[in-house]
Amino acid sequence: MNSMDVRAVREKIEHINALPTIPKVLNRLLALIENPRVSLNEISNFISSDPALTTKVLRMVNSPVYGFPGRISSVNQAVILLGLTVVKGLLLGVSVFELMQKTMIGLWEHSIGTALFSRIIAVRAGHKEPDEVSVDGLLHDIGKVFLVLQFPSEYQRALTQTKEDGIIIHEAEKNHFSTTHASVGSWMARKWRFPAKLIDVIEYHHKPHLTKSTAVESAIVHIADILVRARGFGFPGDDLMTPVQPEAWDLLKLTERDILEILEEAEDSLQATEDLTL
Amino acid sequence: MPKIAPGSLEPGMKTAKPVVNTSGMVLLGENTELTPELIDRIRNMEVDGVWIQGLSKPSVPMEEVVAELDRRFRLVGGQPHMDIIRKAVQRHIEGLYE
Repeated sequence: MNSMDVRAVREKIEHINALPTIPKVLNRLLALIENPRVSLNEISNFISSDPALTTKVLRMVNSPVYGFPGRISSVNQAVILLGLTVVKGLLLGVSVFELMQKTMIGLWEHSIGTALFSRIIAVRAGHKEPDEVSVDGLLHDIGKVFLVLQFPSEYQRALTQTKEDGIIIHEAEKNHFSTTHASVGSWMARKWRFPAKLIDVIEYHHKPHLTKSTAVESAIVHIADILVRARGFGFPGDDLMTPVQPEAWDLLKLTERDILEILEEAEDSLQATEDLTL
Repeated sequence: MPKIAPGSLEPGMKTAKPVVNTSGMVLLGENTELTPELIDRIRNMEVDGVWIQGLSKPSVPMEEVVAELDRRFRLVGGQPHMDIIRKAVQRHIEGLYE
């Protein structure tokens, strides 16, 4: 099988916003968040100017994935409570939601499940910004969306290969694209000037022991990703478990009891997010 | 405690949490027994789901879910951390059927 040249892949991925399938609102949003000096007010006005987007953001912030179920009634309130970093991430999450739904059945559920588990683990680990870690979880697989959009037939072949050869999607991506969704996601996150931590977690969520700046966050999202798969919630491209990185496990000092409690805490919310369509 | 779509509510069910519409306004308190009139009202409001008291058993038989679990873990059998995760998930799933 011929693997594509990684530079050619990157060239096409970086011009993804020229695709006709990219919604206008997403391009406008990206233009806005690319500006590092964008203010809370500008973000707030951008959301409020679009009723459909407003509804999606409010559904999301009132969902059990965030810490304020059913309590946030305005965009202003959401932006103030969650802060700029989280809201920017959420906005991107809800804006790619439809693309996810169209391109890969189950990826949205996988992403939102990972966001939920990330938040729960972050709170238990005493992390200061659990909502930010949750956004890391929500967007960790965003590279898959770009790959599917830009290379639909090749990605379909990669998905088929996971089934036929019994390998994980990460490996199948390497075979077809000479790179993985983790790198693809981080290229775009960097191009769009995402927060440095988010870029790093996207890049290292499969190898959290190699990051220099987000050891804890990458470890949390890594484990959250594995737990969502283990629970059988959503579909990330294959249905096989991959080993947890021992360093990540040790860093978070997890035990069987912890895993059980995390699963229990997540269960009700998982059931509630099952009908969280935006 | 399951969350139920407005279309599947039945009279006699009791709310486990306050019922809120999508903008966060509380429409009904918790511990309210649903009547046909209340259900109609919920269906006419922007409510995405209602938390109901009592556990609903999952619809897929447990044996099937555990078999799926075995299949998912087939590449990582014998790895200590994965065995811990596998055991915790199985205990958790069995708990859902109690």
